[in-house]
Order: sequence, then C-alpha cells, then structure tokens
Amino acid sequence: MSLPTQTVSPTTLNAASSTPTLREAGRRSRYWLLAGGGALLVAVISTVLAAGGGVGGQPLEAGSAAPAGARALVEVLRQQGVTVNTADTLAEARSLVGAATDPTVFFFDESGYLTDDQLSTMSALAPRTVVASPDFLTLQTLTPPVGFGGVSSAEESRSACTVTAAVKADGLSPGGPTLTIPADAAGLTGCFPSGENAFALVEQVTADRTLTLLADGTLFSNERIGEAGNAALALNLLGPGDELVWYLPTIADVPGTGSPSLGELTPGWVTPTMILLVLVAVAAAVWRGRRFGPLVAENLPVTVRASETMEGRARLYARSSARLRALDALRVGAVQRLAGQVGLSRLASLDDVIAMVATVVDRPPADVRTVLVDAVPGSDSELVALSDRIQELERATARATTPLPPGRMDS
Amino acid sequence: MTLTGRFVALLALGVVPIVLLGSTPGRAAAVLGFWVLALLGLGILDLSLAGSPRKVALSRSLPSRVRLGESVTSDLYLTNTGPRRLNLMVRDAWQPSAGAGNNRTPQVLPPGERRLVSLSLTPNRRGERRVDHVTLRSFGPLGLWARQATLQAPGQIRVVPPFNARKHLPSRITRLKELDGRTSLLVRGQGTEFDSLREYVRGDDVRSIDWRATARRGDVMVRTWRPERDRRVVVLIDSGRTSAARIDDEPRLDTAFEASLLLAALASRAGDHVDFIAYDRRVRGRVQGAQGAELLSRMVDTMALIEPELIETDWPAVPGQVRAVTSRRALVVLITSIDAAGASSALLSVLPQLTRRHTVIVASVTDPTTLEATRPRGNREEIYRAAAAERALLDVARVSAAIRRQGAEVVTGSPANLPPALADRYIALKAAGRL
Repeated sequence: MSLPTQTVSPTTLNAASSTPTLREAGRRSRYWLLAGGGALLVAVISTVLAAGGGVGGQPLEAGSAAPAGARALVEVLRQQGVTVNTADTLAEARSLVGAATDPTVFFFDESGYLTDDQLSTMSALAPRTVVASPDFLTLQTLTPPVGFGGVSSAEESRSACTVTAAVKADGLSPGGPTLTIPADAAGLTGCFPSGENAFALVEQVTADRTLTLLADGTLFSNERIGEAGNAALALNLLGPGDELVWYLPTIADVPGTGSPSLGELTPGWVTPTMILLVLVAVAAAVWRGRRFGPLVAENLPVTVRASETMEGRARLYARSSARLRALDALRVGAVQRLAGQVGLSRLASLDDVIAMVATVVDRPPADVRTVLVDAVPGSDSELVALSDRIQELERATARATTPLPPGRMDS
Repeated sequence: MTLTGRFVALLALGVVPIVLLGSTPGRAAAVLGFWVLALLGLGILDLSLAGSPRKVALSRSLPSRVRLGESVTSDLYLTNTGPRRLNLMVRDAWQPSAGAGNNRTPQVLPPGERRLVSLSLTPNRRGERRVDHVTLRSFGPLGLWARQATLQAPGQIRVVPPFNARKHLPSRITRLKELDGRTSLLVRGQGTEFDSLREYVRGDDVRSIDWRATARRGDVMVRTWRPERDRRVVVLIDSGRTSAARIDDEPRLDTAFEASLLLAALASRAGDHVDFIAYDRRVRGRVQGAQGAELLSRMVDTMALIEPELIETDWPAVPGQVRAVTSRRALVVLITSIDAAGASSALLSVLPQLTRRHTVIVASVTDPTTLEATRPRGNREEIYRAAAAERALLDVARVSAAIRRQGAEVVTGSPANLPPALADRYIALKAAGRL
C-alpha cells in the first residue's frame, strides 16, 4: 500500500508547553499558598498568646502564675529579703542547701517521685523543712506516728497551739485534709484542730531540726494564699532563714533501674543512619514516583465473547438439571447429521431417518428409536450413557456410510 | 523537576561517612547534616545548570495510514532553540494501542541543532491512533536532578483494516477469469451475454454449435458467452450491537470488513460496481461510485473509523438505504449475525422487500467454538455444554432456513472461512447469471 506522508513544516518556534513554569504554578496556587500561610500565622500567634498568659505549670511551682502556682508567695518572700532558689532534683537541693548558711527547705512531691531513702535524705538537709501535702510514704518515713485524718468540715480553723508561725497566723482557711497525731506522741505538735486529734498543721521538733507538715498544700497556692491567715502562716514558716530552697521533685529523681537501655547500648551513628535511610526512601520515592508526563487516555472497545450466550445456556441447563431438554437438543443435532450421512434431506421426517439409519447400521429400528427419541434420562449418569449411545450410533453410521468431509455449518 | 537514581545512590552512600566518623551521636548528626546539605547544594547547582526543556521546537513526520499488523516509523524532530546543551530523555506519548513499545529515548541536543527521534509503531487496533504531547526531561551536567516539561506536539495515524483475506484473491480471480470473456463460456445462461463466434474445436459442447452461422460459413461454428458486466453490488454491514461480539479474538465487525474487502476487490475486478454502507441506526460509513484501486483505498479508509455501536440495528430502514444507493437490480450482501429467531425477526421481516427487487446474500460469522463444543461429552458439564451448543447451531439452522424461504442466500463461516465463502458464493451467482 502506498503510504502518503504528512510532514509538519519544520519550525524554530518553541513548542507550546502544557507544564506550568514555577511562576505560573505559583500564580495558580496563590490562593492556597496565602490561605495556608494565613492559617499558620493565626495558629502561631494564638499559641504564643496562650503561652504568654502563663497558665499551666505544675501546682505550687515557684514561677507559675496559674491559680495552682505559688508565684505570689515566692515573690513576697523575695521582697522580704529571703533568697528563694528552686531545685528540681535532690542533688540540686543538696548543693543549694550546702551553699547556704541557714536554709529552709520547702518540699512538695505531688507525684510521689522520691523513695523512702531519698525522703530521709531530704528531711535531713536543712534545719527547717516544710512538707506540703505529705503522702503516705512521706508520713511513714518521716513521722511514723502521724496518720491521715480525713477532710475537715469545720467552719473555721484557729491555731490553738504554741507553734510561733501558727500563732501569728491565728486562722487558716477552713476545710481541706487533716493529719492525726496520737495523744501520747512525744515531740509532735498539732495546730489548727478540726475535731479530735485532727490537725491542719503538725510540727515535729527534734534536737537539731524542725519538720513541719502542712496537710493541705493548696493553702499556699496563688488562689488561696490571700484567704484568712494563710499568707501569714506561709511567710512565718518559710521566712525565718535568709534562704529558702523550693524543692519540687521531678522525674529526674527517679533512680534508674536494671540494665542500661537500648539507646545507651547503640553506637552514636545509628540514629543518624536511620534518619538518612528515611531520607533515601523519600528520595527514591520521588525518583521512581515522578510521572514522566501526563497519562494518555484512550477509549477501548468492550470485549464481548460470542460464545457467552452458549456458555450461559449450558450453565442454566446444568443448574436446573434440564436433562430431557439437553438430551433433545443433542438428539435434534444428531438426527440432522444422521440424515445428511444416510443421504436424506434436512427436511426428511424423523421416522424416515430412523428407518434409514437402522438399515444402514443393521440394527432394529426400535433400538435406534429408543436412542434417538424414546429414552428418558432419569439421572445424570443415564444422561451421560444416552449421550454416549447417540455418539456411538453416529460413529457407526459414519463407518457404514462414506465419511463426508466436515462441512461448514450451512452445508 | 525530578531526581535521578544517581542522586538517591549518593544520598545512600552517606551511610559510610556517618558510620566511620560518627563516633558520638552529635558528630554523627553533624556528618549527616553536612552530607544532606552538600548533596542538596549539588542538586540545586545541577538543576540550575540544566538546559530548559521548554526551549525546544518539535516537528513530526508521520505516514498518514498504516495497515493493522504492519509497522511504521514515527519521526519526531527536536530542535534546541536555547543557549544550553540539552541532555534529554524524550517520551513520545502515543496512545497504548499505537504499539510504540518503549517510547523513552535518550538524546543529546547541542544548542541550535536538530535531532531525530524515531519510534517504530505497530498498532494493535484499528482506528485513529493519536499522540498529543511529548515529555522532555532535561538532566543537569552531574545527572543528579532534572527539569521536566510536557510540550504539545499533536499527530495522528490512521490504522486501516489489515485485509488479510487478500491471500484468497488470486485464486478467486483465476476462477473469475474462467467465467470472464477471456475464457469464453460455451454455456448460455441467464445473465450472460453473447461474446463471439469461433470455429468448433474438439471437446466443445455440441449444444453450443450455432447452426445458422455454420450454414453461412460452411464450417462448424460455436457461440461463446461471457458473464454480464456492470452489475451492482451493495455491501451493507450491520455495525450494531451484535457486531461487537468477538469470535476467535476478532470482532464480528472486523470479519465483516475482511469479507466485504475481498468481495469488493473481486467484484471490481469482474467489472461490477461496488457500494459499501455500514449501518446500524444511522450510516456510519459509506463508499459510493469508486472503482478499482480507489475503491479499496476508500473502503479501508472509511472502515478504519467504524466501531461497533452498542445499539440495536434498525432493519426496517435498511431497504430504504439500499434504494438510496441504486434503483436497479443489484446483488445486496447483508453482513450481520444470525443468532436466534428472536434476534433475527427484524431482519426476516424486511427481507421480502429486498428479495423482491434484488438478489440478497445474508452473510454471518459463526463461532467455531460452538461447533467444537458439541463433540466432547465426557461428563455432565460437557454434555450440558454440548446440548447448549447444539441448541445454538439449531437456532442458526432455523434462522438460515427462514432466510432461504424468503428467497435470500445464506453464507456462514468462521472468521477465517467467511471471506472466501462469500467470494465463492458471489462467483457462483455470477456464473449462474443471477446478478
């Protein structure tokens, strides 16, 4: 076939590009870039503003201005000339105490980080120790006789003791947890009673140390320091010395246990190598995943196999076990082929075909008739057997007559 | 923009210095940072040195037609109009059916120069195969990063039917010649015309002796006859729903094309006029009034774009279509499918209108798998399958008989057999003078 050639005239004009340049892409996505940037800006500003409010921090933290913090108390103490140093660990507290001449330790362990040994060490650091909200372990370690006294329901709370700070404070905010001391306990003084042997403040004086237990640490929080005589009690408890160590234990106080962790055992290059591998994976994804231009679309024709109707009909026969119907189809086809083989026309009657076939294969016509017409299959095995007999009859006829070359369907 | 495998490999190579030099986590992290930043810097440098893939002019040189199954070369000329040397990977984005194979070609393009990228196309589907764009990837001198752009470069190629049946043409033409004037017939029949008188030679049929001429010449003369010429043949292909079915991995429509091409080649050689219509509910293609080589060329061109439509064919309108082509007596060949009585009832109802005026052949592709399915009967499933196949054959036989009763001829055959069978029937009709 002659193939005419169509040639686009050569040109030096650059071909039109459907890939946007960087500038075009930027212009196209400008709205989203601006919107995203704006959202980010709003998020950053709101975060900064929220953090500047100083809300947060843990209870009784020296620098926290939150309602549960203790910044008010600490600031007043500093104005009164007390040097307040904060400590996060026992070691830090020890070094701060060691550097001071006449220190007081304020101790508040909300999460119960310290062990009994550490608690003993802590209580022996300074001549004056104030423990706010002691937990069970603290009481057991430091002052075994003292127990918990339940929540006070008293309307007001008066000092009613000889402890100087309590006397000066005179009254405290009523309510809150209490501590109990047995009546015969030596060296223990309870203040601010609410009921029998229940006190809001317990002081234990030994030879060289004074340990004060404050049942409810929240009395010193920013929120409640202004109530009743809380402030006076706090200032007098914490302010006698020139230096105060404000010790709130942290997770760093928890002693490490067992064998060294996986991180300590691995060499230093492992983490950077893993980061590098992640970067390599990302780069490989870009390398393999970047599409070489847009996809090309093409309409494809449906594929319909012509034999599908035949297969479908066969399945229908099989599902409904239409044995007689199936066998009849086989018989009609066989009769037509037999008629052709014995030289009868396509329109020859069934009786003629049967008589002719019987003559050709030399069998009784009744026998041939049974195979081609009369027999009714009662089961699948009978169907298979009858089908075999039909085929056998066709083969016998073909042997008996001159075999015809296989014709087309129309012949 | 994209990366290359070389960049990824270099990045992965960073493991070596990190392990060797990174004794502590801090130093290892520093080595990692240095390595990544250095590679990023190299990549950006490479990208800035790569030539712009947009500064390329494209032109194509394509053959307009190709036979299905044959290969052609698609030429794409790239001209670098930019100032930098381009180290390119070219993707010529042909449709998948165009059979371009691996369409990525590396090419180096110095500034101001033109290069040719050739692709061998072997389309695997008839119709119009298109290409819309070319994607270029321009690598930097280090081969780390690359720029990429997709450029418009439309082109198209028409894939015409293969006409594999042309292998049957020589033998049929020989038989046609036997009928034709070149081999004079001695038998007079309807549809033959007088050719000449010649002397009797031994072997001639004594019935063809012209006694009057013998008396005049004093020698024994015989008359010779030749088939009539300048008949009309109208080939109407049903491009409706049933033509989409695939038999032997070929749609019925494509077999119909093969058969009509063989018939057209033969009939046009025999001096008859061939008109071609593809019809379902409207005319999908029509070739009228063409002769000889132009006829076949126009037919394949028209056929290339015809696809089976998934709608029912409007048979009542078919006689009108035939009447629009010719008002004379003609041979009307309807290539459709004969499946079941229900599906063919529309065809049967309009056949009398056609057979009253014309000689009609109804040609249909049959499925050889149906015939094969009647034979194996080993188990229950095979027997039911054989029964269904027998049933299908019986349906075809019944519809064929009905068509014959309407006075039309029926030609059926497998995809390989139908074209020669139709040609043979045409020759037989011509010999019988029934055109």
